[in-house]
Amino acid sequence: MKSGLKLMALAALSLALGTGTIQAQNTVKIGAVYPLSGNAASAGASAKAAIETALEIINEAHPELGDLTLAKEAGLPNMKGAKVEVIFADNQGTPAAGQNQALRLITEEKVHALVGSYQSGITLTASAVAEKYGIPFLSPESVAANLTERGFKWFFRTTPIASDIAAIYMDFLKEMKASGKKVDSIAIVNENTEYGTSIAKVIREAAQAANLTVGVEIPYNANTTDVQAQVLQLKDKNPDCVIFVSYTSDAILYVKTMQALGYKPPIVIGDNSGFSDAAFLKNVGSLAQGAINRSAWDIGKPDSVTYKINEMYKKRTGYDLDDTAGRAMQGFFTLIEAINRAGSTDPAKIQAALKATDLKPNQLMMGYKGVKFDEKGNNVLASALLIQIQGDKYVAVWPKASATAPLQLPYKGW
Amino acid sequence: MKRGFYPSLFLALALAYPLLLSTPFQQRLGALVLLYAIGASAWNVIGGYAGQVSVGHVMFFGCGAYASLACYVHFGWPPLLGLPLGILASIGIAALIGTPTLRLSGHYFSMATIAVAELLRLVVTNIELLGGAVGLSGPVMPRTWLDLSFTSALPYYYFFLAVLLFVLWVTWRMEQSRMGYYLRAIKDNERAARSLGVEAGRYKLYAFMLSAGLTSIAGSLYAIMFGFIDPESGLGMLTSVKMLIMAALGGAGLLFGPLVGAVILVPLEEISNTLLGGKGAGLTFMAYGAIIMVIARFYPSGILKLLQDRLRPSAGGRQSDVA
Repeated sequence: MKSGLKLMALAALSLALGTGTIQAQNTVKIGAVYPLSGNAASAGASAKAAIETALEIINEAHPELGDLTLAKEAGLPNMKGAKVEVIFADNQGTPAAGQNQALRLITEEKVHALVGSYQSGITLTASAVAEKYGIPFLSPESVAANLTERGFKWFFRTTPIASDIAAIYMDFLKEMKASGKKVDSIAIVNENTEYGTSIAKVIREAAQAANLTVGVEIPYNANTTDVQAQVLQLKDKNPDCVIFVSYTSDAILYVKTMQALGYKPPIVIGDNSGFSDAAFLKNVGSLAQGAINRSAWDIGKPDSVTYKINEMYKKRTGYDLDDTAGRAMQGFFTLIEAINRAGSTDPAKIQAALKATDLKPNQLMMGYKGVKFDEKGNNVLASALLIQIQGDKYVAVWPKASATAPLQLPYKGW
Repeated sequence: MKRGFYPSLFLALALAYPLLLSTPFQQRLGALVLLYAIGASAWNVIGGYAGQVSVGHVMFFGCGAYASLACYVHFGWPPLLGLPLGILASIGIAALIGTPTLRLSGHYFSMATIAVAELLRLVVTNIELLGGAVGLSGPVMPRTWLDLSFTSALPYYYFFLAVLLFVLWVTWRMEQSRMGYYLRAIKDNERAARSLGVEAGRYKLYAFMLSAGLTSIAGSLYAIMFGFIDPESGLGMLTSVKMLIMAALGGAGLLFGPLVGAVILVPLEEISNTLLGGKGAGLTFMAYGAIIMVIARFYPSGILKLLQDRLRPSAGGRQSDVA
């Protein structure tokens, strides 16, 4: 009796092991290196939830999501319904930890490709390891220009980069000027680390190219607790448009201070990050009516694909999908679509498939014009639209073709 | 013969480690332990032996790291050539700021070093030539072997081991010399040491400069291995604190103390991040912090000290005056 039990246990064990190996052959493993602790932990947690939502869409059948890549069938159709598995790693907000974890995912977990890593500096070190090992690395959200200037063969990114973003602002301002609004002087207010400095620099160059004058530039420290001096300086110079490049707590501080000092510039643009954070809308949305932001994400109407995706994401997190997490999700979809097209987990075949990627807008959940990589690995069809705070949420206002509500100017504030 | 037993055992283990635990991640872990041991041992010269607790040592670390990568970015030199420049710059900075700050005692010295390091971080953030806020990156694909850009961690491991042995040798020579005795005297009671004719100011400055130069080596090696430096990773306070904690945990003022600290803390950090990091919410740092608290509570003079007392209960006399 006892030996029979043993035998059965053994049989069960071998069965389990057997199915285990079959499953392993049929699983696509992706490593995701994100800031799950440290300063940017909340962005990392949102990206993680977004990728898990994408995973749910890919691994289960979701015919209601229409043309969205890999939604219709369960698993990857070109790989006999293979499932995708994601192994998350914490980059702790440091380039060293990001690189260590990328190495671990490649050599210990044997992942077939990597996504990540939010902060540009960490994407830089983590992707260097992937390049050395010949593993595809897709960055869905890092915007620093130097990432794609390194001549890498295994690096791709789907996000609009700083120059795309600056071009959108300038096109918008030129159109405003053409329509008779006064846009003679622009102020750039940027936090003084990598994100703020690099975006501000590109905006300044784009403004010069577009014959718009940057009258004031105010770099500041994002950890500051008082921005009265900066707001008073703005009030004094009185520019026609103020562009903020800020993180969350400082963006909130600016809006509050502007209200306290009764300052309302005619046009306020808040570049993504801080102005996109759910905490910003909740805390000071009512004081920043008419603030314009860029986004490639729009929740859309209740029966749209994007609305359904947002509902799935909301069920996981309790809050709406924002632009940054949306970009992470789109990057992940792009990578898995390429792996499915390659029909293999061989790195070289994935790389070839990524190079041949040509996704149309209807296959995407973000508002890009498509996904297609140039020889450096940048997405040439990446784009964004402008959104504006009206009431308690952002609505798409520009360009007109994708607007869901009319643009309201001047900036209303509170 | 017996005196050299543990160091030889360590050396044998260190030489064999990457062959015994040979996966790329384990080898890299080994290299990281050695790298942090170099940094912590360098800190130990001023913080441990002389008892002047610097919390701004990252400025020398950053000096080395920036020197290496700036040489690569601006002149196309292999980053290794920046290493001696970093050492010179660090010694210069140490001489410059050591003269006024070493007059301060206790916490005031610590605070002054924090202030200088933070100041340097802000200055570098605004210097375009040093990459500003974006940072500098090194060669990813090696042009020649001189670039020291390897896929495997094995070459880094043995290179770092050689450097660590050099740092320990320098520290050991200092410990045995007149300067070593002076520093310990200053640490115990500066006024008493002065009254016996020790030129405390001068010797503290020497120790600070020596420590700065050695720390700079760790910075250069870091930049060579990771190939990227920005103001936060190169001049952020966390790195200063790490050097301090490793030395204190292992045993500050003991030759092998910082090494013991690094052997415990670096794997602890990496392994806890591997096991818990993917789950999110900073569990890694909670575990890490808890272990440091336990050690600080129960073994305040460092683990090595505890081991020494256990292993040599009778010969405690000679060693205890060191710690």
